[in-house]
Amino acid sequence: MTAVVPVYSLGFGLVTASILALAAVGFTLQFGVTNILNLAFGDLMTASALVGYGVNVIGGTLAESLLAGAVFGAIASALLNRYVYTPFVRHGTKLFGMVIVTLSTGIVIQNFILGWFGANFFSYKVAQTKTYHVVGMYFTSIQFMIMGLAIAVMIVVQLLLTQTRLGKAMRATAANPALAQISGIATDRVIDVAWLMSGALCGLAGVVLVLNTTSFQSTTGNDFLVVIIAAAMLGGVGRPLGALVGAVILGIATEVSAAYMSPSYKEVIAFVVLVIVLLVRPGGLFGNADAVRSSNA
Amino acid sequence: MSLNEVPNVPVQSFLEVRDLRRDFGGVWAVDGASFEAQSGCITALIGPNGAGKSTVVDLIGGALRPTSGQVLMDGRDITALKPHERARLGLVRTYQMSSEFGRLTVLENLLVGVPDQRGERFRTLVIGKRYWREQEEAVLVKAFGLMDRFAMSEKRDEYAGNLSGGQKRLLEIMRSLMAEPKLLLLDEPMAGINPTLARVIEGYLSDLAKEGLTMLLIEHELDVVDRLCESVVFMAQGKVIATGKMEELLKNTGVLNAYLAG
Amino acid sequence: MSQSMVYYVTTILVYLGVDILACWSFNLQYGVAGILNFAFIMFQAVGAYTAAVLTLGPSSGNGGFQHYILGWTLPFPIPILVAGVVAAALAYVVGLIALRRLRADYQAMVMLVISVIATLVVTNELGLFNGPAGLALIPEPLSSLVSSGGYPWLYVGVTAAICVIVYLFVHRVTSSPLGRTLRATRDNQDAAQALGKDVVKLRLFIFVFSNAIAGISGALLVEFIGAWSPGSWLYVETFVILTAVIVGGTGNNAGVIMGALLVPIAFNEATRFIPPFGRPGLVDAMQWVVIGILAPIFLWFWPRGIIPERRRRFKVPAILLVGSDQSPTRPEMTTAEAKGEVD
Repeated sequence: MTAVVPVYSLGFGLVTASILALAAVGFTLQFGVTNILNLAFGDLMTASALVGYGVNVIGGTLAESLLAGAVFGAIASALLNRYVYTPFVRHGTKLFGMVIVTLSTGIVIQNFILGWFGANFFSYKVAQTKTYHVVGMYFTSIQFMIMGLAIAVMIVVQLLLTQTRLGKAMRATAANPALAQISGIATDRVIDVAWLMSGALCGLAGVVLVLNTTSFQSTTGNDFLVVIIAAAMLGGVGRPLGALVGAVILGIATEVSAAYMSPSYKEVIAFVVLVIVLLVRPGGLFGNADAVRSSNA
Repeated sequence: MSLNEVPNVPVQSFLEVRDLRRDFGGVWAVDGASFEAQSGCITALIGPNGAGKSTVVDLIGGALRPTSGQVLMDGRDITALKPHERARLGLVRTYQMSSEFGRLTVLENLLVGVPDQRGERFRTLVIGKRYWREQEEAVLVKAFGLMDRFAMSEKRDEYAGNLSGGQKRLLEIMRSLMAEPKLLLLDEPMAGINPTLARVIEGYLSDLAKEGLTMLLIEHELDVVDRLCESVVFMAQGKVIATGKMEELLKNTGVLNAYLAG
Repeated sequence: MSQSMVYYVTTILVYLGVDILACWSFNLQYGVAGILNFAFIMFQAVGAYTAAVLTLGPSSGNGGFQHYILGWTLPFPIPILVAGVVAAALAYVVGLIALRRLRADYQAMVMLVISVIATLVVTNELGLFNGPAGLALIPEPLSSLVSSGGYPWLYVGVTAAICVIVYLFVHRVTSSPLGRTLRATRDNQDAAQALGKDVVKLRLFIFVFSNAIAGISGALLVEFIGAWSPGSWLYVETFVILTAVIVGGTGNNAGVIMGALLVPIAFNEATRFIPPFGRPGLVDAMQWVVIGILAPIFLWFWPRGIIPERRRRFKVPAILLVGSDQSPTRPEMTTAEAKGEVD
């Protein structure tokens, strides 16, 4: 087995997949419900990581950092939607306009952080931990925590979407907002909840992303955005379960490939996978091709 | 009124739909639809909401691919053709949602209607205006003629996006006529517009039929269908329930009940 | 004019020419055809790189401190033309992947991914692109023709000439039925297709054509400044051009000249005169914050830009006027210019 795939890289892959899953599910959940392509997502991750870092600096625990990042991400996303994105949508800004607005927002956030804190790296102070050895894979206790957190969050999100009334309302809104509204679903509140959830996942992902690498800078989140988008598209945009599968595939593919070639090509592999899938199935693995086809409605 | 009254004139079926099926994630929107539309007259496609009428038009126009079945136009199987290829054969459609080119003027909307213009070819980049000037002039003459006929001259330089709902529908029909269609698919051209303009559009459609244009019309108002259409295809739940003349269908209480129940 | 002043003015003029070309190219895609090309800067960079390796000479030169392919020494203007061809070829490949019948924002996402990945490849392929260091000491074309003092002005002239030639082609697109049909596909793809327009082919064509212009603009720049590095072609640079087009007037060739003047040129120059304050890099970061705010402000208040897309009017064909006593009157527009929207 070791001859075919280096098992240790599979371990890295699982960690990357966990971080990616948190981010990609958050990204796709919001896109599915609100139909706004939020290109500020990566920069919000950075901002949340910064908040988590702040808690870390003043001596907070890991759990407190995660919580702070998640709460910040949730509130920031909801506010961003309510006071920036939604007003633009109501103002009549269409598809492209909204893409530009979210991209602008990301650039503003990123450069605000850069201007305020400079181009230096922030380093999380993490207590030296033991490294565990599991069937040829190596994990630090932090990485165990990241994987555990990701699995727990994925289960919660899946249960929420499939088992609760709120989840059904979200899926109904994603499928057909007008119909959902007629059926008595308070779509505005559903959309708020979608942004809160997406933001919380974004915040968590931001904190665990920098926990794994221990240092980050103003562009870290945005650099990760491309892989998030690739994972979401791979699974079919707007499909949380698809994003999860996409994240696992890309996480493992990127890290395993890094064992064979320059590690800086990790993202290139993500891209190659994405292109192949798009050529064969434009809607992604779990997506519906008709949903992403052009239409001017 | 009916062509069938003259036995010696063979009635040609210009459009033939054979056992068309289309599913959306396990739900059959169209489940084995077969019918024909005769040359030179208006065929109505009626049925309750969700009967699959618009899907049938999408399948005939090529916007959707059928899961199975065939579409034949003028005896030729066009099932595999893309929408723009069908349009070039003379099959033009309008949409249920208004689909004007909003930031083009009314006149420009019409000018776009002519398929395969020289000025659209890439060699216009090399040769320049002299390559297409003459044809453009002819297209303009045609567009002005249509605006005159449909009393839209005053709106010539208005952005199509600023027109009223009814004017947009009219513009769409005019734009289709620029293509000199052999078969025109009309998806509820009079829905949601004021009754006066609806009657005007009905009059235009009737004139076009007299001029020999073959049309397939989705329409909810049975009076309109009765006045305009020689033959009617009645659909429900993705299937063709009955075909025939309107009065025959009205006699058939089963059909009417299905319609009212919808 | 002092030597430094000459250098300053000519540099600005060359940058302006390059930005105008870029804005025309971006506008053809975004404003005319409705393609949001987030990978735009990649095509400019590829053109620049191509021109560089076609003029640099063998990579063993200058002590062989940089690595690249080809290393030819082709005379002007061949490197610039080939740059356009290479950018066009890349656009064809990218277009085949990204321009299939997908939702427009989905297409934009694919291009964003492509752009970022391209940067990764370039910074990592040391043998091909010399990595993050990029290429330097690219010789000046035509420098043998004039004295070194007159050279910057000669290059300004070359830039202006290329702008004029490119404009003639851009104008042929925007003023022809081809441009009209492209605008129709921008407004409603499905309806255009139902009228017999081969939407995929048309969009692919304009994508290839306009990215060739992008490649030429990049080549023009790199031949002037003599250096090429991947760090100056990051995907956010696309956003500057996008903002310029929105500010100047989406869909209007003259408007985007205004945008090129106001956004990339005026903005860079303005910050030159702001005394540095705060930590190093603060002014740069704030400049990006302002650019980031500029595009949404325009989308909100002036979505059609400073010089909006003009309404095209046509003369009544002469043949229709014969026999009528009066020429048809042109009705006054009762509706004010439509409140614009970007979709």
